[in-house]
Amino acid sequence: MKEISLIQAKENEEVTIVSLEAGQMATKRLVDMGLVPETKIKILRKAPFGPIEIGVRGSKLVLGRGLAAKIFVKHL
Amino acid sequence: MIMKKTMQISNGVNEVKKLNVVLAGQANVGKSVIFNYFTGLHQHIGNWPGKTVEKAEGTLRYKDYSIDLLDLPGIYSLSTYSIEEIISREYIAFQKPDFIINVVDATRLERNLIFTLQLLEMERPTVLALNMVNLLKERGLEIDFKKLERLLGIPVAPVVAINGKGLIQVLDQGIRLVEKSLKPKPLKYGKELEKKVENLILSLEDVDLPYPKRWLALKLLEKDQRVKDIIENKKPKILEKAKKLSRELEKIHGEDSSIIVAHERCNLVSQIVNETVKITKPKKLSFNEKLDNLTSHKIWGYPIMFAILALLFVSVFKFGNLISSLLENLTSNWQQAWQVFFGTSIWSSLGWSIIESTLALMSLALPYIIPFYLFLFLLEDWGYLARVAFLTDNLMHKIGVHGKSCIPLVLGFGCNVPACLSCRIMETERERFLTAFLVTFVPCSATTVVIMGLVGKFVGIGWALSFYLFALLLILILGKLFSKALPGEPVELIMEMPDYKKPDLKTVFLQTWFRLKEFIFIAGPLVVISGLIIVTIHQTGFSYRIADFLSPITVKWLGLPVITGILLIFGILRKELILLMLATLLGTTNFSQVLSQHQMIVLSLVSMLYIPCVATIAALWKEFGWKKSLSITVFKIIFAIIIGGIISKLLNLI
Repeated sequence: MKEISLIQAKENEEVTIVSLEAGQMATKRLVDMGLVPETKIKILRKAPFGPIEIGVRGSKLVLGRGLAAKIFVKHL
Repeated sequence: MIMKKTMQISNGVNEVKKLNVVLAGQANVGKSVIFNYFTGLHQHIGNWPGKTVEKAEGTLRYKDYSIDLLDLPGIYSLSTYSIEEIISREYIAFQKPDFIINVVDATRLERNLIFTLQLLEMERPTVLALNMVNLLKERGLEIDFKKLERLLGIPVAPVVAINGKGLIQVLDQGIRLVEKSLKPKPLKYGKELEKKVENLILSLEDVDLPYPKRWLALKLLEKDQRVKDIIENKKPKILEKAKKLSRELEKIHGEDSSIIVAHERCNLVSQIVNETVKITKPKKLSFNEKLDNLTSHKIWGYPIMFAILALLFVSVFKFGNLISSLLENLTSNWQQAWQVFFGTSIWSSLGWSIIESTLALMSLALPYIIPFYLFLFLLEDWGYLARVAFLTDNLMHKIGVHGKSCIPLVLGFGCNVPACLSCRIMETERERFLTAFLVTFVPCSATTVVIMGLVGKFVGIGWALSFYLFALLLILILGKLFSKALPGEPVELIMEMPDYKKPDLKTVFLQTWFRLKEFIFIAGPLVVISGLIIVTIHQTGFSYRIADFLSPITVKWLGLPVITGILLIFGILRKELILLMLATLLGTTNFSQVLSQHQMIVLSLVSMLYIPCVATIAALWKEFGWKKSLSITVFKIIFAIIIGGIISKLLNLI
């Protein structure tokens, strides 16, 4: 399964997290919000050049673009 | 209100026992509603000592208990990501509250439980207040409360905070835990992890710290820096062991041990949720969801946002101007009346200055800050501010901040004071400070008075408008620069997008009232005292001496007439005074008689860029402490002088 970064995923796609390649602080923040490997995510909305809204664990999260670029996912 | 009456009926026993209780939970779960319900007017909002994080405390009487209730900030974890998290975990570990009320949003159970598990690791008696259960049905969700209680090992109390339903039961459960000394039983994670945890707990046996041993062990495996530092001081050998165990875990799981621990928590939460939450009907788009689609829409979202922000802006400032003029009209004869009674001696002027400062503060606070706070909390409670952050994040990044900073910056155009106060919606101290700093460069309405009254009137409207462009350019450049210079990482936006919900008016009013009180407490003395100082300086003629003293800057460097010194001093109180004093001292409003066009441009520029007005300084003081507000003030003065001088020289070349 090919790995892509979260920003490359398209709206309404469902993906699974493979790995997190962000800095220590950012990674901590991500995992505290429940974004650990094997987590299922649905891409809800992408603002042009802007943040990404995802559905995860029954709630909606918004991630800045730079951060989303460091989350690697694969399609289900 | 029924709650209050119940609480006042004591159980007949005379002794009053004291309890220390804490409200903990993520943002947007209804914690403030519950806090306000329990404490009503018996609350006080200050700051944590030495920090610039809000501390909300209150008291209530229930049965024969006197309960001190502390509302911890809304946080997502107990790591060291933010100062709020550090404060919270240290409070729980050191103060050992009698019980914790963990407020959880029933419609977002899975994500909320991740925090619950972290909270339980702190091993204090905990009651889970499962809020918003009334919304479960319409979301197509069903929760088995009893099973949840069994799996978590703590009492679960379903609650509808905005109606007050179930809140007394939360207290009852908490008191029961205290009376029976019931602590939560530790919930076990994966086998491999637990083995390492037990190993570390053994090593920690002889370490004397207020934190639970299991918590320390987990934090060590999570590579928590603060815990590592504390342990290093007590028994550094453990750190090596923790490293070794981390590496063993990493070999097994293939991810960093800090991620492994979080992963295990998530696994346990998923398990619990699978066994307790049922999705009863497929989700169909509710009104709120349709609204969400519209307000976050790539194309339509922006005009809607402009409209709402414009509405915010216009209602606050139109209403503000209305009340402000009303107050001005009401009190316009007061100064004359005062002088009739008390003469025009210096003492009379000082007395009047106190009254005038109080009136000035009232005409700032009542008309502007109150509607601003009301509107802001309304928008926040409703959930709209998150949409603004979403839509503007990209643009804000160019300035060196992120989406949430948009609101304070926009508000700054009206008045810097509420704008600075609104910086608290940002999560980290760094973000807040940087945004507040940039806000002070946004030309407020008082600055607009100066720009329009001088440059707009006597030089040209084109020139006047270029001031605003210049301000925006400065914000862009300074933002980028200071974002790099300030310690700490620039924070990427990670934010929960809350569902739209009906704002709770009582909470909005209470939040407004208590924050206003805090602000007046700081701003009041500051405004009155600076008013007294400046009036004294002026009445004794000392202001002219100061103006002369400043002339190397004002005359030689800035190319302005000597009286500018006096103007700029008065400008510290309120920027409009720069023009008003000029008119008073000259006896005319035909400023072109005294100032050339170039001088008007330089004066307006310096007015826009230099010291923030006293009320803004007070707002900065309240939010960031005196050191930071002083540093912004000093920077701005020096910056304004430098830029003013450069522009002055440049203009002379044209």
